Amino acid sequence: MNKTLLSIAVAASFVLSGQAQAGAHAEIYADFPITVKNYTGTKTHSEAYTGQIARHTLHNSAKKLVSKGASLEQIKAYFSGKDEGRKIIDPVSKDGFPMLQTHVDKISKGKNLSGKAYKGLISGMPGSLTGAELLELMLEKAAATEKGFDPLTGYDYTQLFSKFAMGAVFYNQAVDNYLDEKLAADVNPNSKAYKEGKPYTGKEHVWDEAFGYFGAPAHTLALTAEEVYGIAKQKSDSFAKADHNGDGKVSLVTEMAYAHAYYAASFDKGGKTKYLHTIVQAFIDGRNLITSANGEALTDSQRSELRAYAQVIKTQWQRLIAEAVFKYAGSVYGDIEKLETIIAANGDVVKVYRTYAKHWGELKGFALALETGGVNLGETGVKMNRLLGYSPVLLGNTQVAALVDGEFVQSSSVSLSEYRVQMIKLQKLMIDDFAVEARNKDVTANLADLVDSLGQAMAAEND
Amino acid sequence: MIEWWLGFIHTWFTELTGLVSQGNKRIFVGYLISATMIAVLWLMWQRRLNFAGALAWLFQPKIWWSNSSRSDYQMMFINQPIMLLFSPLMLSKLALATALFYTLTDWVTRPLWSFDISTFWVSVIFTSCLFVVDDASRYYLHRLMHQWPVLWAFHRVHHTAESLTPFTVLRTHPIEGLLFGLRSALAQGLLIGVFVFVFADRVTLLSLLGANAVTAVLNLLGSNLRHSPVPISYGKTLERWLISPAQHQIHHSQARQHWDKNFGAFIALWDRLGGTLEYGSNTQTLSYGLVGQRPTEHQLVNLYWQPFKRCWQSFRRHKGDLISAPNVTSETS
Repeated sequence: MNKTLLSIAVAASFVLSGQAQAGAHAEIYADFPITVKNYTGTKTHSEAYTGQIARHTLHNSAKKLVSKGASLEQIKAYFSGKDEGRKIIDPVSKDGFPMLQTHVDKISKGKNLSGKAYKGLISGMPGSLTGAELLELMLEKAAATEKGFDPLTGYDYTQLFSKFAMGAVFYNQAVDNYLDEKLAADVNPNSKAYKEGKPYTGKEHVWDEAFGYFGAPAHTLALTAEEVYGIAKQKSDSFAKADHNGDGKVSLVTEMAYAHAYYAASFDKGGKTKYLHTIVQAFIDGRNLITSANGEALTDSQRSELRAYAQVIKTQWQRLIAEAVFKYAGSVYGDIEKLETIIAANGDVVKVYRTYAKHWGELKGFALALETGGVNLGETGVKMNRLLGYSPVLLGNTQVAALVDGEFVQSSSVSLSEYRVQMIKLQKLMIDDFAVEARNKDVTANLADLVDSLGQAMAAEND
Repeated sequence: MIEWWLGFIHTWFTELTGLVSQGNKRIFVGYLISATMIAVLWLMWQRRLNFAGALAWLFQPKIWWSNSSRSDYQMMFINQPIMLLFSPLMLSKLALATALFYTLTDWVTRPLWSFDISTFWVSVIFTSCLFVVDDASRYYLHRLMHQWPVLWAFHRVHHTAESLTPFTVLRTHPIEGLLFGLRSALAQGLLIGVFVFVFADRVTLLSLLGANAVTAVLNLLGSNLRHSPVPISYGKTLERWLISPAQHQIHHSQARQHWDKNFGAFIALWDRLGGTLEYGSNTQTLSYGLVGQRPTEHQLVNLYWQPFKRCWQSFRRHKGDLISAPNVTSETS
């Protein structure tokens, strides 16, 4: 009797754990089986995106160095260098949030950012520079300032570099390369290993690399947006949520949140959008599709399904960058209001001016990132760049107008007040042309609040 | 399907209870209580009644349970779900305010003096302007409802009330309710758009009991007595500025000299400017309703359906000219 009960219990637990594993497999970007034909190596799973995560740590570290006023040489070691022994400057262990890896090489060797930066022309800044050249220029200029801020131009290079690099490297590589031409039938086919001896096929790896650039934890679907946000911020109460495998440390490869995944979480926690989960779900669905081909070349219909997943990712990713443009346009609007009030009262503007420059740097960085998605923004791009200009409008109503012999040159511009109005127009452009929905820092939010405070008008009430 | 009906009935019930539980509704229980207190005190003072006598006079069954009043209560119940069905047709106040805000942003520079006004005063100005603009638009729409045959066909439903109680305010044809909604959306949407453009995020509504503070105060001061048998007059000086209960009762009077008078809701200035002001009297005795109206006017089918027929008849009689036919209020006389 007891034996029977025991065997039933064992069978039941086996079935249940099997289901749990199957369920977990569908939800987590991990443990995808090896489908490469005749693989003889020792690996047990096929997903791999360590190169992309290494670049996330390079970006985070370079940003930190710029903000601390490091030398150009130090910063460049993380931007264009490939040397061994580079320590990760950010993210690093904090009290209650220990990290597994401390060196870039422990994640992936020989990686840099410059090699993968967008080589197309960027029209939102003067000088006809490519994305890669512009990043390089930003770092050179940053190194010549005190802690990355140039009060004469209003450039906050920490923000400009970081937000633009996220676009010019991660977003561009993912949506304009891996999820675009590399999904073609004759490029990185699924019927061959990505490279001789690798445990993943061409298509598997292409897809994994795009996922890596997004910067989401592998177990994102088991987390809320709020939790992913907490993980990126390394909040100690988020540690348990981050440490998915329970080894007591957060793996920078599979358990950390970076870049646009962090921004997606920051918008989604407002409850109006689902960028993070929609994008990660599309990545997982796409990866399951590729895995299901079991090492055979993808059929036309499989590739077209895969392209549909890719399109979801591209659309949502672009929109979440537009959300950031929307948000920081609202922040800049608020900063100018404060500046105008202080100027009218003959007060000290130093602190608010610094915040204005910081927000503008974030705004501009994200706006420039929109140019790197492999899509011609057309009139939208022109409008966006004209509304923003090449720099914030400075207190004397001047703005950067050109790059001459490597120096930013200013000329007279619209007034601060008019520039503030341009931020309203920029927000409207993001609504009209990118259909943003989270709309943080909406300058028209007061309209909705007032309408709510007046209540509904639908009552058949006479005079 | 059952779930849909349960949801619908729940919403209906919520809307009905909202009529008396929300301070932005005229028959909010707080306003009814304050109106009763004012009426009782007035009757004790003016008519020399004792407290019990005042209450008995106020709540006469022949008024509160008349055919006219009973049809008011029925309309109150029936109108709620109809208005719910209409709500998707409603002009969005927010869409209008937003569109105006962006239009102003495109064409006008925000005035710099807006910074010189403190947040408190911005709220006072906004709340006052809202009250005034709302009231002026009510006057204008009300006037049109008496002047344009197409609108009078619906508004006359309200005027067929032969006894007035605070619930008569809900004796309103749904088409008229829709027009009130459009008016409110237009007036409030435009004002919000302009104020947020000028004062940005410093605009707030001074509210009391969840309603515009000015409207709430005036409602607490007895606006429900407009539809009541208590003819409280404010005296000529004040009635030049504010519509008293007695003045609105004149608006409902059958007497020829009272037709098309006192269209205003709260402010009397509009009637003064429009030449339609008539002063009230504490001693006035009036007959309400329309001259020669039939007893069948209070039947629901007539209250809801007849306005459409009248609208069509008027359309044919005036050869499609629905807005310029003069003196339509007298059409029932």
